[in-house]
Amino acid sequence: MSAHTTTPASHGSQPRAWARHHPAAIDRFTLTYLRRELRGRLRQALLIALGLGLGVGLVSTVVAASAGARDAQRSVLRSLYGIGTDLVIAKPAAPAAGPGGGFMANALQPAGPGLIPSATVASVSHLAHVASAAGGLRLSQFTLTDGLPQTMTVEGVDLAHPDLGPLGSGTLTAGRNLRPGDAGSKVAVVGSGYARSNRLSVGSRITLGAAVLHVIGIVSPPEDDGETGIYLPLATAQALARSSDGTSLAGQVNVIYVAGDSSALIPAVQAEIARLLPGTTVTSSGGLARQVSGSLSSAAALADDLGRWVAAATLAAAFAVASLLTITAVTRRVSELGTLKALGWSGQRIVTQVMSESLATGVIGAVIGVALGCAGAGLVAAIAPKLSATVQESSGSSNTTTIAVPLAAHVSPAAVAAAVVLALAGALIAGSVGAWRATRLQPASAFADA
Amino acid sequence: MYTLTDISKTYRKGQHRVTALDGLNLSIAAGEWLAIQGRTGSGKTTLLQLLGALDHPSSGVINFDGRDLARLTEADLVDVRASSIGFVFQTFNLIPTLSARENVEVALIPQGLSAAQRRTRVAEALASVGLADRASHLPAELSGGQQQRVGIARALVKAPSVLLADEPTGNLDVDTRDEIMALLEALWRDRGLTLVLVTHDTAIARRAQRVATMDDGHLSVAPGERPQPGHATGGRSQPGQQ
Repeated sequence: MSAHTTTPASHGSQPRAWARHHPAAIDRFTLTYLRRELRGRLRQALLIALGLGLGVGLVSTVVAASAGARDAQRSVLRSLYGIGTDLVIAKPAAPAAGPGGGFMANALQPAGPGLIPSATVASVSHLAHVASAAGGLRLSQFTLTDGLPQTMTVEGVDLAHPDLGPLGSGTLTAGRNLRPGDAGSKVAVVGSGYARSNRLSVGSRITLGAAVLHVIGIVSPPEDDGETGIYLPLATAQALARSSDGTSLAGQVNVIYVAGDSSALIPAVQAEIARLLPGTTVTSSGGLARQVSGSLSSAAALADDLGRWVAAATLAAAFAVASLLTITAVTRRVSELGTLKALGWSGQRIVTQVMSESLATGVIGAVIGVALGCAGAGLVAAIAPKLSATVQESSGSSNTTTIAVPLAAHVSPAAVAAAVVLALAGALIAGSVGAWRATRLQPASAFADA
Repeated sequence: MYTLTDISKTYRKGQHRVTALDGLNLSIAAGEWLAIQGRTGSGKTTLLQLLGALDHPSSGVINFDGRDLARLTEADLVDVRASSIGFVFQTFNLIPTLSARENVEVALIPQGLSAAQRRTRVAEALASVGLADRASHLPAELSGGQQQRVGIARALVKAPSVLLADEPTGNLDVDTRDEIMALLEALWRDRGLTLVLVTHDTAIARRAQRVATMDDGHLSVAPGERPQPGHATGGRSQPGQQ
């Protein structure tokens, strides 16, 4: 055993001055201490991280389910009104002319909304902040098969703007799509559900009214209801259909799809159209979303309302538990932290150490939270039953369509970032509580029982 | 080194006020070895905490190298603890998750030294207590005596002028106790430290130059077996008496 002879005076006062001006710098020793603490108290650190992770994971799951429900709603609307459609103009249907609602068997007739002159489409397209407008003719054909009534839904598509309206959101799976050169031709694109149930393929023939049309393509809409089946050139639809009183529909549409050039100006465009076309209904995509009913609507409302509160409550509970566990951890280290103070560590340096450990725990919590959120979202998508969405076939129409929609809950990059921020915020709160406890310790607590 | 004048310390314990130190006067010379004895609860540890700038007295003056510790700000007290005073604890107070080397390094962190400087001084300190080959071991991998050696190295690595030891051999067997006391004695002698040692062990207390006995907050001082400062070592100043 030896004792070297360094004297107290051998180390100057410069380091002390440095220490006072850099009391809480995170240096290599802070990180070493942090790493050793996490490793040495792994179970405790994991417990706190798990608490944070559970809270964050549940929030991520609820956010993913909510986003999934919103996506499903959007998807339903797109399938009916098209991807780029911001506004839908329709006119309330006139009362039916004859007995049986004016429907005639095997006749192609307007599906519900009242008729609007085609020239109106041009007027709308010239309004300020309107990027494009397209007319559509929603028709239905009522048939009796083995004494049972069946309704076939047909859409006349404006070939100048195929991106607007329901066909714009479909994916071509066979053949080709309608194009401007098809105007007036007896050709049709059919929905994949309709094609399947009626055993149609490219080259098949279908009868609408008194005409026979060639199937040139099969399209798969985002949400296939199996009913909205046939898309024709608008001019062909106008030529084949008759109103319930037998008059021609030439030069008539019953729905106008509008795309604005700025989403912020949609309300202004909506108001302008309402002034231009009194007696029509102008519905925005937000308004359309509110018209969706059925289990999808209930799920979206549940995720938005109850889910938000459950997630917030769980998150608050997770933060509280993490804070309590951190206080407990600091309390267990009273002697250790008191010893550090007795050795000349400043309160700020100890706070930095406690906060660093808490933040590191938060990072672990974030990883656990994101993993749990992804797993939770996957579980929701796997076990959630298909939701049904009931929506008007077009604005102003009294006819409704019910579509089965799968709930695809997924955790987006933004949700992952939010989960990380939440976990770190929780860790900071817990760390602040623990640091507050640590700053209240007297250096004399070094003499407490270790 | 220290001059304590009319020091009192009272605590509130529930509804009661407890007087731990009552009008205590004491001088400790630089380089002196003072042992403090007394029954449990007599105020020994409270006195040690005041000497170590860990607590403030309720009244009185603690003059330490010309500064009144009772009136220093917390930042100044932190500086005093960081540079001038080394502690050795009965229960060693090592951080269980850090190695022996890192436990010693902890004491140098407030001084703002570079990592290389810290490494050198830690190696010297561990070598001085005979633990150079145990530097990477965790406290749980060391015997009680070795842990206390790490504690002593930690106290001395910053080259303090005062070493305050609270029952440093209280948790050790007799053989280890003698080893640790021999080490402390060698360090005290070689480094010119002021050593204040709280102990229940009369045999250890007698090895000091003076023995202070605490009784119900009051202090009485008697000479130890070792020659008084100034008698044997020549250059040391004469300690004051109560």
